[in-house]
Amino acid sequence: MLVCKKILIAGVGGQGIVYLSNIIVEAAMLSNIPVSVSEIHGLSQRGGVVTSGIGLGEHTTGFYGTAGIDLLIGLEPLETQRCLSYLHKNSCVIFGNYRVQPYSVNAQMAEYPDINSFAKYLGEQCKEVVFIEKFPEGIDAVLFNVFLLGRATRMKDFPFEANKIEEAIINTVTAYHKEKTVKAFKLGVEFELKKQSA
Amino acid sequence: MGNEGIARAALEAGVNGVFAYPGTPSTEISEIFNHINNFQNSPSNQEKYPELTVDPVYFEFSINEKIALEKAIAFSIGNRSALCVMKNVGMNVASDALMSVTYQTIGAPLVIVVCDDPGCHSSSNEQDSRYWGPLASVPMFNPATPADAFEMIKEAFVLSGKIKLPVIVRTTTRVSHTRGIVTYGNINNENRIANFDRLPEHINIPARTAAAHTRLLDKLKTESVLALLNQNTKVVLNSNKTKLGIISSGVATSYITELLHQNDFTEKVCVLDLGMIHPFPESEVLAFLKKGFEKVLVLEELDPLLENCIRIIAQKNNLNLTILGKGFSGLLSTGEFSIDLLKKVLEEYLEVPFNKNENIPLDNFEKYLQNLPPRPPALCAGCPHRATFYLLKLAIPREQSELILCGDIGCFGLGALPPLKMLDTINHMGMSISMAQGLYESFNSSEKGKKVVALVGDGTFFHSGLSALVNAVYTRANILVVIFDNRTTGMTGHQAHPGASRLPKYHEIDIYSLLKGLGIEKLEVINPFDIRESFKKLNGAMEYTGVSVVIAKAPCIFLPDFKDKIDKKMQIVVDPNLCNSCANHEDVSLACSRCYAPKNNLSRAKAKLIAEISIPGDEQLCPANICNHGFFNSILEGDYKSAVEIVRDKMLFARTCGAICHRPCELFSNENSVVPIKKLKHLVAEIDQNFRDFSIPMKRVKNAVKKNKTIAVVGAGPAGLSAAYDLVQNGYEVTIFEKENKAGGMVTFAIPDFRMDKTGYDYEAMQLEEMGVKFQFNTSLGKEISLEKLAKEFDSVILSIGMNKSKTIDLIDSTIPSAKRTDALSFLKSFNLKEEIIKPGSTVLVIGGGNSAIDTARSAKKLNVLNKIIVSCIETESTMPAFAEEVKHASEEDIEFIHDSFVETCSVGKDGELNVVLHSHEKKTFLQNIKCDFIITAIGQTTDPSLFAQIQIDENQRVKSENSFTGYENVFVAGDISSGNNMSVIGAIASGKKAVVAVRKSLENYKYAYEGEMALERLNTNPAPTLHLRKAIVDDDIQVEIERYNLFQSCQKCNHCIDNFGCPAMVKVNGKVQIDMSRCNLCGLCIDVCPNNAIRFEVIEEEELEPEEII
Repeated sequence: MLVCKKILIAGVGGQGIVYLSNIIVEAAMLSNIPVSVSEIHGLSQRGGVVTSGIGLGEHTTGFYGTAGIDLLIGLEPLETQRCLSYLHKNSCVIFGNYRVQPYSVNAQMAEYPDINSFAKYLGEQCKEVVFIEKFPEGIDAVLFNVFLLGRATRMKDFPFEANKIEEAIINTVTAYHKEKTVKAFKLGVEFELKKQSA
Repeated sequence: MGNEGIARAALEAGVNGVFAYPGTPSTEISEIFNHINNFQNSPSNQEKYPELTVDPVYFEFSINEKIALEKAIAFSIGNRSALCVMKNVGMNVASDALMSVTYQTIGAPLVIVVCDDPGCHSSSNEQDSRYWGPLASVPMFNPATPADAFEMIKEAFVLSGKIKLPVIVRTTTRVSHTRGIVTYGNINNENRIANFDRLPEHINIPARTAAAHTRLLDKLKTESVLALLNQNTKVVLNSNKTKLGIISSGVATSYITELLHQNDFTEKVCVLDLGMIHPFPESEVLAFLKKGFEKVLVLEELDPLLENCIRIIAQKNNLNLTILGKGFSGLLSTGEFSIDLLKKVLEEYLEVPFNKNENIPLDNFEKYLQNLPPRPPALCAGCPHRATFYLLKLAIPREQSELILCGDIGCFGLGALPPLKMLDTINHMGMSISMAQGLYESFNSSEKGKKVVALVGDGTFFHSGLSALVNAVYTRANILVVIFDNRTTGMTGHQAHPGASRLPKYHEIDIYSLLKGLGIEKLEVINPFDIRESFKKLNGAMEYTGVSVVIAKAPCIFLPDFKDKIDKKMQIVVDPNLCNSCANHEDVSLACSRCYAPKNNLSRAKAKLIAEISIPGDEQLCPANICNHGFFNSILEGDYKSAVEIVRDKMLFARTCGAICHRPCELFSNENSVVPIKKLKHLVAEIDQNFRDFSIPMKRVKNAVKKNKTIAVVGAGPAGLSAAYDLVQNGYEVTIFEKENKAGGMVTFAIPDFRMDKTGYDYEAMQLEEMGVKFQFNTSLGKEISLEKLAKEFDSVILSIGMNKSKTIDLIDSTIPSAKRTDALSFLKSFNLKEEIIKPGSTVLVIGGGNSAIDTARSAKKLNVLNKIIVSCIETESTMPAFAEEVKHASEEDIEFIHDSFVETCSVGKDGELNVVLHSHEKKTFLQNIKCDFIITAIGQTTDPSLFAQIQIDENQRVKSENSFTGYENVFVAGDISSGNNMSVIGAIASGKKAVVAVRKSLENYKYAYEGEMALERLNTNPAPTLHLRKAIVDDDIQVEIERYNLFQSCQKCNHCIDNFGCPAMVKVNGKVQIDMSRCNLCGLCIDVCPNNAIRFEVIEEEELEPEEII
């Protein structure tokens, strides 16, 4: 029985959210796990919010509700925070500090939330929280998604082995981007949080 | 994805042609066929994959849904099976075609896919397209999952072929955009040969319609329909342990099956899913209802369509059970369902809590969701639409006009959101041009006729804008239509359209030629990134009466046309010293209330765009540190009150300076390349209502932090008054001592009344009293008060006693009787007091070349036009210290100048006539003899030297260092007695301000130098340059006249790009704009947008460039 049945990927248009969910779907299919995905990306190309819910197992849809998400992968801190109501005390969260400042913040109509205090709160509330405060150098910003997924594979409840995800990446990525993508993924798998704090 | 499943199923069903109009959430279906079509039509693929390309599936994005459906119907009548794809509102456009063909017949199968959008994720309404089934009497499927959709499409094709009717498959966003596992079958390669049968049904005439209607309804009762109804009405959960039933359809079934399974409640309820909803599966539903339930709950998104059918069946069959639906536990006809909603509904219906998995929400999570910044979609970085909107914003200032902008559907609809906010209406697709002409007619009849603007995207223009434009031309509407031609249908994912076909299989229609053909006379094509040229054309089109059209043509950033032009070796940088920093004063706490004028002041940006002459602000500095740039831009904006306030931010005398300032700010360039600040100051300060309102400086005094320090100012001339003005606004207590009986000093006594209206000056000076400054008149230094006493009693003293003792020439004093001579100051004072000390018709010799000499000469002339005035000065015309303007006035008044001359000897003739011998100053040789009646010496002033016995003074009796006064550490000097800056009113004002800075430095650790120092310095080193007179600006043409200029400098309060442009690549960090190069598309428009000229292109250093990727 899977511990992690529902995964939510949240971020901003252009961050590769749909691509990440495709990798997970592929991994599920390689593992013979029924999978279903629900995406909202109406105006994604115009900098809007994009979310992708993934359901694993029989009779599980990609739809999600309050306290219904077991693993949240946040590609943008504000959008991670926006998904808070979907988390529960046994949820796992991984998110990166790659900010995309919305117009309301630039125009000083709203303040970007304090992400460190949010991360601290999450750490106290959830089962496992990984906050990548600073992405290691040498990774193209467009591959932060794959890097984050790599690090996610080391989380306790992550439903797939890293090599299954790697196989899924190889199956879904175009030959041109394969090397870079796999490299970013592996960097994520091997990424040590200790190094970051040093 | 559901949409992919639909496309695959259509292929498996052997579809021959697909006709579509893009629209979320349906677009992916059409895109797949677009791709297939391109693939199959490529000659290289035809060679490589002959079996895949043998009978290509025809595909087109038709210009609109009506054409798509009409063409699909015709395609089917030609015996080729067709799929027609559109979003919910597309069906409205297509419905005319649907409603009649059902009475007739089709040929090969025709399936229509219509995608609804409950919750309006990306649509202008959430209409329930299920009504089209009963309305048009066609079979309709309503899948719950991608797998359902996949199967139903195939069934729909088969059914359509059998009953010769179009069949509709209706999905919703949550079906179309859900991914799930679907097992593919084989693609049907059956080749349908095109064929047309001359059937009577193809001719639809009234005589046949009644019979046709009966025939249509009969088709829905055929065996094949009934079989499918039965097959698609499924009991998904069955239990004999319950008296509760649910009938659901569409995505509701997915939600509840998940909820029931996850919570192990599958035996608590029986669930019937309706996959085919028209004709209504009456017998299947009746059978379900008869299972002995107490209650049946109907779950369907949007309208209670099925619920009503079920209630009818129950009523017709006298069934004794409760039917629940809309209204039960928060079930509404609006919005979409969600897991949370249906969980609540099931809990209430089944009367059990759904908390089996014990997922407990986080504590107080609501706190972290409060006030999160919203993230609305925005036009992309580099989007040409933003460029066009920005142009419109500058060309059509919305704050000041009642102009209506009618928008339309598409990416550019985002222009309605902040910061652009350039749309007043958005209706259904294609409405903009009709809206504009209709509004125009409304106003036209009420004599408030005005041009109305329609904004429409290029795709929408072809979809349904064109016919509206034809109507506008036909009815002679006065509208401007701006076509946002970004060379693609942007919003739905960059599909081709007739104006931008991109493929050889399509013929591209040139919008310009098309519109020329309509007879539109005012027709412009602009490149919105060429912002200057576009601005002119846009204005021209706006001014035209009749239909004018501007085609704003530049490619969407996703098109190769855009991408190929990006120079990746470049980056865009913002100079932090120019962005949001004040070029006027380092001390940002200085009053500068309106530098930036009203929040949406666009004048700075507009000036940058249209001005012929751009002048850096530091070329027109004011010694009193007035923000000339802010002043000028307020006037550009038409905000004259703010302009006056900007002057008063720094000094008291807006009207006085408007009258007599010698405008050092304008002196350093030629007359055509400076902003006429003085003239403008005069114009705005003369508006009495604004002039008399001193509430803002008063408020500053009131709000100032009290310093509890007292300052004595000696001398109530412009320097002393200015010092008091700054002091009192900084919280000091000020007492002014003045030897005369009123304030004003030299301006009051020595400037002839004809040069200015003194009442304004008096009013300005009087404001200080209102601000709490104390005046002690008739109090002279050295008589009633002593410097020692003041220095002791006050925290600081500012001496600004002026130089009111005229210098004289001994030769004249000793030779000429006192009745026939005087000095300039005495004369001007008597002139202002209207005393007549010169007999009319006299010849008067004025000696001196300074401003007093000119004032004296002009005053003497004013006394009596018969007076002949001669001015003798040692300087040449170009070196004389008097202001050239004044000299010019004097010359025009027939005052004679003898330059390079001095009085060698003089004597009194027998008849009392004065004989003066003038020699050349330079050559010391005889020049000429002059006979005159009166001599006035105007060779400058001095002060009583006894006052400064111990002080270092220069040859003009001026205190050498204005900030220290030897012997008294708390005494400072200002005005004429300080060295330099003695030439003018503005110099006096500046020196008063400078003395205040010195006082503040000594009393409150103020750390900034006097901010006007540079201009003051310039004033001293070059006190009297030649100046040509500018053509006068009159009030009426002020706005037009000054539009030629752009006086720019960086401003600390500028937020123009964020407030008005809002490119997502611009990020504001710590008050400064930065460009996020990961989002920037290098369009470079921000460079033109920044009024501070802070943004520029820069070549990326070689080592920063990543090595070229090897493919």
